Amino acid sequence: MAVKFFGQFLIEQGAVTSESLLHAIELQERTNLKLGEMAVAMGYITAADIERAHGAQLSKDMKLGDLLVELGILSADQLQEVIARQKATHLYIGEALVKVGALSAEQLENHLAAFKEDQARYVADRIELPDWLANRAIWETAVDLTYKMITRVLGVQFRPGKCREVQQIAGNAMIASMDFSGDAAARYLLSVSAGMQKTVARAILREEAVDHEPIEVLEDTVMEFTNIVCGNVVAKTSQSGMVLDIHPPITLHPPQTGLAVPSGYRGLLFPIHLGDDEVMELALFIKQ
Amino acid sequence: MKKVLVVDDSLSVARQLEKIINESGDLVCVGHAKNGAEAIKMNHSEDPDIICMDMNMPGMDGLTALRSLMVLDKAVKVVMVTSLGGVGDKFTEAIKLGAKNVIAKPFEPDNVLNILRTL
Repeated sequence: MAVKFFGQFLIEQGAVTSESLLHAIELQERTNLKLGEMAVAMGYITAADIERAHGAQLSKDMKLGDLLVELGILSADQLQEVIARQKATHLYIGEALVKVGALSAEQLENHLAAFKEDQARYVADRIELPDWLANRAIWETAVDLTYKMITRVLGVQFRPGKCREVQQIAGNAMIASMDFSGDAAARYLLSVSAGMQKTVARAILREEAVDHEPIEVLEDTVMEFTNIVCGNVVAKTSQSGMVLDIHPPITLHPPQTGLAVPSGYRGLLFPIHLGDDEVMELALFIKQ
Repeated sequence: MKKVLVVDDSLSVARQLEKIINESGDLVCVGHAKNGAEAIKMNHSEDPDIICMDMNMPGMDGLTALRSLMVLDKAVKVVMVTSLGGVGDKFTEAIKLGAKNVIAKPFEPDNVLNILRTL
């Protein structure tokens, strides 16, 4: 049901054991050179150059390749050649499993086809976003996976509203919030009314009746739903080479007047029309 | 009956897992620890066959606890449960440290039981 890593899918299917997967991972690590190692192997730089660049990374938040170019150690063309060589020689986990004898080539092909089918439901649909937004693919994934999880995990039918920029979001029974950091930074906020909070609780706890549950449990279920969505966003974007971290979810109780977008952020609101009196809104506060 | 210890700071996730385990008929949940340090203590007191453990928890996190458990108890089998299960690096790190599998959230009860029963 979740965004998965191929190795994990294979263990779940009983196609390989964790021990044989570990052997394949070890082979991958011996075979796949990091960017700096590949540049050394191609004769463009020395180990001392990498040390120098790593030292510079302590004060500059840049990827190693970009930094090597900025320091004049590697030309932009050479960097592209190194990246291209890395891609061309990369040993994927499936290939590694064949090499260690855990799978045959034919079995790999069949499992890959099944894996693609399993993960096809997480291919992002197009979401309309404002022109000024950077890292659009990440935020498109965040919104799209929220919609998909509302349908699949909560079993709720809804109509997504048009995205608009806001200075604040309205008050509600609660807002579950999680921060993204890494290659992009933003605050993810899911605002729910009291009735919608119970809908989330019924789905997460797999219970028909939740009226007797303490408020801490009800709030915990909305935080858990937020955690599920954000974790899957990190997993999905990691497939494109983006590195994101998430921080534990928290509950906010904004006043009736609403929650203002903090200074240094721009707010995007994605209304989620539920068709009854309940309210659910997704907001992203994008760090500028 | 195989004994399972659930380790998660989220009460709702712990409730879900306990329900799935206790309704299985062949597995029984012997307790719920809220962080890695509690997991190590309860592994000693409850002697579970299997531990289902969250990766990200306040205090001692799941991967740190996993590292300690693999030294302290060679027999216990650990499965990580996390919303970050689909992140290749996180999955690889858990398997390298000795986890038998990583269950990505959201999970289906049948999937959880299939994984626990094969251990």
